[in-house]
Amino acid sequence: MRFQRTEIAEGIGFSSIIDEKFKTTSIAVRFIVPLSSETSAANALGMAALTTTSKAYPTPALLNEKLSALYGAGLTSFARKRGDLQVLGVSASWICDRYAIDGEDISGEMLSIVRGCLFEPDAENGRFSDEPFAITKTDLLDRIEAELNNKRGYALAKAAENAFRGEPAANSCYGNKETASAVTPEIAFSAYENILRTAQVEITIVSPEEIPGAEADFRRELSAIDRSPVPVVFRSKSPIKAEPETLSEEMDVNQCKMVMTMKSDSDDIYAMRMLSVILGELPVSKLFLNVREKLSLCYYCASGYSATKGALIIDSGVQRSNIGKAREEILRQIQLVCDGEISDQELESALLSREDILASVGDTPASWSSWYFERLCEGGISAPEDVLLDYKAVTKARIVEAARSLKLDSVWLMLDKEVG
Amino acid sequence: MMSEISNITSRQTGDSCVHVKHSSGLDIYICEMPGFSSTVALFGTKYGSVNTMFRQRDDEEMTVVPEGIAHFLEHKLFENEDCKVFELYAKTGASGNAFTSFDKTVYLFKCSKNWQDSLRILLDFVQKPYFTQELVDKEMGIIGQEIRMTNDDPSWRVLFNMLSCMYRSHPVKIDIAGTEESISKITAELLYKCYDTFYNLNNMVLSVAGNITAEQVLKICDELLIPCQDKGLETVFPEEPDEIIQPEIREAQPIGAQLFYYGFKCRDCSGEERLRKTLAASTAASLITDDASEMYQDLLKKHIINTTFDAEVFCGDGFFTVIFMCESDYPEEVRSAVLAEIERWKTEGIDEKAFQRIKKSTYGSLIRELNNVDAVANLMLSSHMDGVSPYDAIDMLSELTSQDVLRFAEEELREDRAVLSIIEKEGEKQ
Repeated sequence: MRFQRTEIAEGIGFSSIIDEKFKTTSIAVRFIVPLSSETSAANALGMAALTTTSKAYPTPALLNEKLSALYGAGLTSFARKRGDLQVLGVSASWICDRYAIDGEDISGEMLSIVRGCLFEPDAENGRFSDEPFAITKTDLLDRIEAELNNKRGYALAKAAENAFRGEPAANSCYGNKETASAVTPEIAFSAYENILRTAQVEITIVSPEEIPGAEADFRRELSAIDRSPVPVVFRSKSPIKAEPETLSEEMDVNQCKMVMTMKSDSDDIYAMRMLSVILGELPVSKLFLNVREKLSLCYYCASGYSATKGALIIDSGVQRSNIGKAREEILRQIQLVCDGEISDQELESALLSREDILASVGDTPASWSSWYFERLCEGGISAPEDVLLDYKAVTKARIVEAARSLKLDSVWLMLDKEVG
Repeated sequence: MMSEISNITSRQTGDSCVHVKHSSGLDIYICEMPGFSSTVALFGTKYGSVNTMFRQRDDEEMTVVPEGIAHFLEHKLFENEDCKVFELYAKTGASGNAFTSFDKTVYLFKCSKNWQDSLRILLDFVQKPYFTQELVDKEMGIIGQEIRMTNDDPSWRVLFNMLSCMYRSHPVKIDIAGTEESISKITAELLYKCYDTFYNLNNMVLSVAGNITAEQVLKICDELLIPCQDKGLETVFPEEPDEIIQPEIREAQPIGAQLFYYGFKCRDCSGEERLRKTLAASTAASLITDDASEMYQDLLKKHIINTTFDAEVFCGDGFFTVIFMCESDYPEEVRSAVLAEIERWKTEGIDEKAFQRIKKSTYGSLIRELNNVDAVANLMLSSHMDGVSPYDAIDMLSELTSQDVLRFAEEELREDRAVLSIIEKEGEKQ
């Protein structure tokens, strides 16, 4: 594998990852902007409109027909939340030219389509074309409505809303029904222009072979834009509430959900991540073994650490009658770590699991792409083997310290409707 | 008996893997994938939730077992006599897991280091059951929680509601995990009965892909596989008529977006015939859900569908359905549009240009599958269980014609054998 990153303009990185084992090529163009309730829906729609139609393919049917003729090439836009930031973008992937039955230049055509979507959108006089935009907007509104269909995901989103209240991270990366409804083709186009002008941009291509001219083409397109990039802050720890808060929502469900958000002011992110693995990321983690297996209190009980917000989130699927006991046991397991109760085996298992995951980075084009993007967000380019050294340096004492820094911030509950 | 080794190569792509009929009775597939760091190993038995009635050559009578027992057995096999399997994987760093589907149970691990130790763990624990009534009773609560959780999942409910209206007798209509009532009848003795019947190596397959060599895999297999005698397993399904039970079903749930499945009950088949039929069925479904088509764009503009409109072919032993699905407030209109499109094909035929384009798109997705260690391991295992070779799909696709697709649609996509299943928003029942 060969990795190379070039800063092709202020605030614009172009990374090329050449890995000969792959049969596909993929590209991700990521725009990083501050997340805000005022702009998140417009930004998401401004980006989604780009992959619905373009100047060259002015109807969705034409664009989709071209993509399927190119052996089902994928082209999509995305909007994600990363702490207090919104990461928006366009990504595409396609099979390599050597598999083209009719000898098509798939890579050349796809790169041209991606550039066309990004820099020559289907817009005139400062607004996206009405009909395709209406489809894009309806689709986003449907997606917002459908969030409740996934109960675990809904519970996590509501918990974040409560835990990070007053901070950008409380917002959804798509906005909400009201803000998305208010976005017009003009507002979305203006958001798109603003993104091109102000965002930090990372372009990543993962391919089995060099694609001559790809970097130069993007450099040329981007140099035509009058940019003034706005610096972004990748980590912004969330302040802890004075007293832990519990909020709940009642609905007609069979299984209740409990999401506990703990916050920490620790900067030792590797110790925090190891703590999360020891607590609740493996089938031998403390929460799985004790809360689920030993006490049968939850069907699932898992943890995850958000370095961007300094928060450890524990989510569980639990019966209503067990909520109190489960909460108590989760806190007791954290207290045990604070008291130094981490066995050598737990530490070794956590490290082995990290080592295994790091060694498999690069087995898919998407994992290479997101690996280097995430490292840039964390402050610099580093290979998986460098990060492994950081994990290896974590001691039991550092994990205990990390656990002691945690404080319960809030609890969000999805409750079933009590009978009688 | 000696092991028999053969190479399987795709005519279309040149990709290849090794098939071994091991002297123990086990079928083994190995795909060396140079340059990849991970290894994925799947050890599976052709035993899923639909196998509730069976006998072996020497049995006089059929054995009928409670619904959900295959899934229950999968949970319990993770506990050895002296420790839990996850504790063993924790020492190698591998990520171990298992799943039970309608027609298979698979134990697996994924790792980038120590794959040989992890393979030893996998082969060892799957061959060493340890069930006690106490452990069985303890598991009831956890699986009961799992059943409750899946009942809150609208995409799960919409499928099973559809199947319950489609299949009169076939156990595919039963939830994979069973019900809290059915699993209460499971005993340690019944688990051993099922284990002894279905976990015979002659009924199982091992699939290993990634950063490995065939030689090393076979060396470990030679060490650990305990030869099994083929006991002539016979699985039986109750007779299933071609007709459906009822054409529509609705359920209300606390959801944000209404969703539906519209499925056609088709006649089942097996082996290469099933693969050919699956390719014809999935091409028909892709043509109907083709986002470049006039029908799709028209429905999208009218907001009768959104971009979640999709289709899948769902088939296995004794069942074959083509399902259209979408989050939509207008399922009846989508049903009408799908049926009208099929009728149009009957008079106008299938657009050859669109057919060739969809075929290319399917070819692209099959190539992508070969780019991924997990997908390759799954492909080898599933193909064997379906009675075909791993690269048959990509080779058979090149022979598929629009006439094959039209014939399939005419014969199988029948309005009188279709079921519409809708999960409505609570409080908005019609």
